[in-house]
Amino acid sequence: MKNMLFLGVSAALSVVCLIGYFLSKSKADSHPEDPKAKKRKKLFFIGVILMGWFFLGTVCNILLGGSKGIHVEFEMFSPRTEVFGISFAETSLIAIGVTGVILVLALWFRIFCVPKFSEDKPTKVQLVMEFAVEWIDKYTHSNVEADTGCLSSYLMALALYMVGCASAELFGLRAPTSDITVTFGMGLITFILINYYSIRKKHLSGRIKGMASPTPVVFPFRIISDIAVPVSLACRLFGNMLGGLIVMELLKGALGGYMFGVAPVAGLYFNLFHPLIQTYIFITLSLTFINEACEGEGYHKKEKKAKA
Amino acid sequence: MNAIGAALALLPALGAGIMMGFATAKATEAVARQPEASGKINSILLMGLALAESTAIYAFVIALILATSV
Repeated sequence: MKNMLFLGVSAALSVVCLIGYFLSKSKADSHPEDPKAKKRKKLFFIGVILMGWFFLGTVCNILLGGSKGIHVEFEMFSPRTEVFGISFAETSLIAIGVTGVILVLALWFRIFCVPKFSEDKPTKVQLVMEFAVEWIDKYTHSNVEADTGCLSSYLMALALYMVGCASAELFGLRAPTSDITVTFGMGLITFILINYYSIRKKHLSGRIKGMASPTPVVFPFRIISDIAVPVSLACRLFGNMLGGLIVMELLKGALGGYMFGVAPVAGLYFNLFHPLIQTYIFITLSLTFINEACEGEGYHKKEKKAKA
Repeated sequence: MNAIGAALALLPALGAGIMMGFATAKATEAVARQPEASGKINSILLMGLALAESTAIYAFVIALILATSV
């Protein structure tokens, strides 16, 4: 009953606004110097958009059932489904899908776009790709002084994966990065990289010596803080992504059909802007931790100095 | 009881919010004093904000675990 009333009122008001808009438009066209007519045209335009949103939201409400009040349904750990008799978490299936999409895109770029690259006349795709690769290369080398090999390409893949996962949420799927197992896996990779680069540069003895400096008393605390790195990275990303998810769910529950039109605006912030910042922070923190572990005199340098 | 615990666990968000405000204020001052160093200040600020934010996020995760476990 209430919905029908809203439907009638919003339809009538949007028709009134539409008529007013066209009337004021013709007036503004015939009298271009009149500032009042232009203002009225603008006001009616805003009214048309608002009333149209109200009307379409009511239609959605009638078709899909209205708001259920503010209560959220979500699970900390994603539900599991069976695929070919193997139990998968839904988020890991989505993550596999995202990886597949990224792989197909990469192959497509490699086969169709890369052969067209030229030094004299760079194509648009080439410029974008060169900018991205150059930025991540420079960023890696400015943060980590040690020889990092192909660390920058790993970071690029990580960034693409995280952005892809976040944009899966725009399609109504649950973002894989809002599952703690996925984020903890990424944190573990960073943990392994920290130790790999540190041991490669300073050897195991140098790494242990670096952890025991300035006094051996700090050694157990250093171990604890090293173990805390993947946990903190995982929890940070997980908490952020889950926070966005819950806010969106709350909005959905509170607005019901009027979520129509609000979802893209709010989603742009919670599902696109926040994950981008988180990606940047994840990369920066990984690089900082790697640099911290690689600091101090390298094993080879010491040998040379002793000989000289 | 769990709900009260979850609400109490969210107290660190207060500290994180205040301190992030302080950090941003100082960064603004620094940029006003030396506009040419804004790029470097920006990256340092983001880094510090991320570290300050993590306390709030840990609190959030703990509160969620408390609120969802019966």
